[in-house]
Amino acid sequence: MAGVGFQRWVRTLSKGKISGISGLLPACRSGEILTYFPINIGEIAAAAKKYNIRVEDYKPIADNGEGYGDYPQLPDRSQQDRDPAYQWDHPDLRRNWNEPMHWDFDMFIRNRVDTSPTVVPWSTMCKQLFGFVGFMLFMFYLGDKFPAYQPVGPKQFPYNNLHLERGGSPDVEPEEVKNYEI
Amino acid sequence: MHPTTLMYTSSLLLMFAVLLYPLLVTFTSLPLNNDWASSHAKTAVKSAFLISLAPLSLFLSTGMEAVTSSWTWMVTTTLDITLSFKFDHYSIIFIPIALYVTWSILEFATWYMHSDPLMNRFFKYLLTFLVAMLILVSANNLFQLFIGWEGVGIMSFLLIGWWHGRADANTAALQAVLYNRVGDIGLILGMAWLATNVNSWDIQQMFILSKNLDMTLPLLGLILAATGKSAQFGLHPWLPAAMEGPTPVSALLHSSTMVVAGIFLLIRMSPLMENNQTALTLCLCLGALTTMFTATCALTQNDIKKIVAFSTSSQLGLMMVTIGLNQPQLAFLHICTHAFFKAMLFLCSGSVIHSLNDEQDIRKMGGLHHLAPFTSSCLTVGSLALTGTPFLAGFFSKDAIIEALNTSHVNAWALTLTLIATSFTAIYSLRVIFFVTMGTPRFLPLSPINENNPAVINPLKRLAWGSIFGGLLVMLNINLFKTPVLTMPAELKLAALAVSILGLLTALELATLTSKQFKVTPLRTPHHFSTSLGFVPAIIHRQIPQLSLLLGQKIASQMVDQTWLEKTGPKAIANATAPLASATSNMQQGLIKTYLTLFLMTLVLVTLISAT
Repeated sequence: MAGVGFQRWVRTLSKGKISGISGLLPACRSGEILTYFPINIGEIAAAAKKYNIRVEDYKPIADNGEGYGDYPQLPDRSQQDRDPAYQWDHPDLRRNWNEPMHWDFDMFIRNRVDTSPTVVPWSTMCKQLFGFVGFMLFMFYLGDKFPAYQPVGPKQFPYNNLHLERGGSPDVEPEEVKNYEI
Repeated sequence: MHPTTLMYTSSLLLMFAVLLYPLLVTFTSLPLNNDWASSHAKTAVKSAFLISLAPLSLFLSTGMEAVTSSWTWMVTTTLDITLSFKFDHYSIIFIPIALYVTWSILEFATWYMHSDPLMNRFFKYLLTFLVAMLILVSANNLFQLFIGWEGVGIMSFLLIGWWHGRADANTAALQAVLYNRVGDIGLILGMAWLATNVNSWDIQQMFILSKNLDMTLPLLGLILAATGKSAQFGLHPWLPAAMEGPTPVSALLHSSTMVVAGIFLLIRMSPLMENNQTALTLCLCLGALTTMFTATCALTQNDIKKIVAFSTSSQLGLMMVTIGLNQPQLAFLHICTHAFFKAMLFLCSGSVIHSLNDEQDIRKMGGLHHLAPFTSSCLTVGSLALTGTPFLAGFFSKDAIIEALNTSHVNAWALTLTLIATSFTAIYSLRVIFFVTMGTPRFLPLSPINENNPAVINPLKRLAWGSIFGGLLVMLNINLFKTPVLTMPAELKLAALAVSILGLLTALELATLTSKQFKVTPLRTPHHFSTSLGFVPAIIHRQIPQLSLLLGQKIASQMVDQTWLEKTGPKAIANATAPLASATSNMQQGLIKTYLTLFLMTLVLVTLISAT
């Protein structure tokens, strides 16, 4: 078994048009590796066929030196956004077999970013939430400035402010301390 | 060793042994009994509860607390870590209550999870969680507490994602882990600060050695930890999402035990917080905001478990407020009483859900007080206890908290928010009772309503006893550490009751409006705000992961290569030298005559100058 594989490998290396180790990779042999940014209609059609998209839907990512090649720009919609009732091939992923994957597919899985439409527009949501938090912070600041407490006064002691208990001499006449008013 | 200490440590050791035995049995390859869950797991917890009554009665009669340190883990020049247990007022009272509630929940779970093929694993997870919780509660040093802390976090993840085939359950489990992790940052920050400045993680040593230090930074860390674990505002979305887990999980973890771990940490560390006004104010304001916000969200939810989850979050906010009032013992009392009635509310919800064939929407329930009278009664008793009905369990702790709030020198807005939240509690509690038990049924006639199973009735009965008498029993037997203010105007004394009755009447009025339809739809803006949970999940769960994941992807795949090869490497050198080269070569225009003339002129000038 291994011997058969080895012989095929040797034959491929000797016959292949593409040099080096790339000649062994199946994708390289038929020229399916990432090509450069498609320019003419022929390259666009070939790229669309490679990625299993219709030519009308195929739109390459802009060529600004980031190295995306001819990878298609798919709509930024998450898996959660897709129809839950449709009979997907992979129901948990909401994806069909051999469907073109978004470049950021791992971000758009159902456990992560969700792009499904919200009840209320994004700007309204942000305004309401941050407005609420800001209002609360402002009110807490005011509440700190004007705290709520029960009225208290200084502690009052009987017997002329505890004159004897505080070490005052019994001979000395203490000053009269009246803690009441009639 | 003193006999009492010996009794405490022996009981705890026996409790751990009793709880770990069923877990160890599962590690062999022998098949388990058919009723392993009931005969081993539930019995273990029941036995552990009965064992824990021994230290409790000893503590109640003698009032003696103990700290034991045994095996030394690590000794360095600056830090010692030992296996150390603290048997104080808090742990000795909390452990029996936690075990009592867990026993009831496990018995209920033998009915609820009966059709689950992996029921034994479920019970194993619950037991592991319980062991981690006991470690957390009895820890005398932060390291041991951290072990318990992480343990309960991990078990929470595994239990929330129990039905892992469901993507929403996985998302909820992830949320729980991530939000708890953010809180853990705070705990680790606090631990690191304490290790470097106070050189100890031992509770007694930390309290003594930090007397003259400015503890603001570690306290902020601990408050962040409590915010994460106890779902305070900012790190709260995981708690309602955690309702994806089975109802016994919600009852045990997300109402009675795990979520109070954050508050428990702050209670343990309260001597550090006593003199730090910043930390106290932060706790007060954060707790008040949490309790009001989550009570607002609870008003419009339609899933019965979500309503109870938000109710839990609101009560946790109230506990945080109590800590902010410098009353840790009242917060602890509220933890104890809250465990009873909240677990009972969840078990009633579970009973109702299963009876209606897994229907969780309260708009599709109704009339259950005829069909499931025991469950409805327990639901009513639990809700009454929650709202602080006089002389039920919740009254003793909640009323004491509101009284303390009214008579303290507090932020006026925090006071207002807490009172508003108390009235909202009554509103959504009545909403639940109205939709679930009153009126006519709104579900299909052929529903498997059956509460005649002792596995349902007995736990509910036990927790109902706890919800009615638990508060009184605890209050009668403990000594209050701080003198409560007993003299206040009648308005303040009755404030909590008045506000709850006001809420109740409002809710009754709104409930009767459902059959009259004065307005076609409610005011949309506040309704959307409440239904969409304040838009917090919508904004936070989209923006932050998107930013970090996009940035991560960009950095990993494009930016690193682009930076090193194009911006700073070979291409950059080429791009930088090309203009230099072209400028230089542009200068070399090949003007030989001009060059020679200049050369000759320079030579002449030099000759002339040197000659003179």
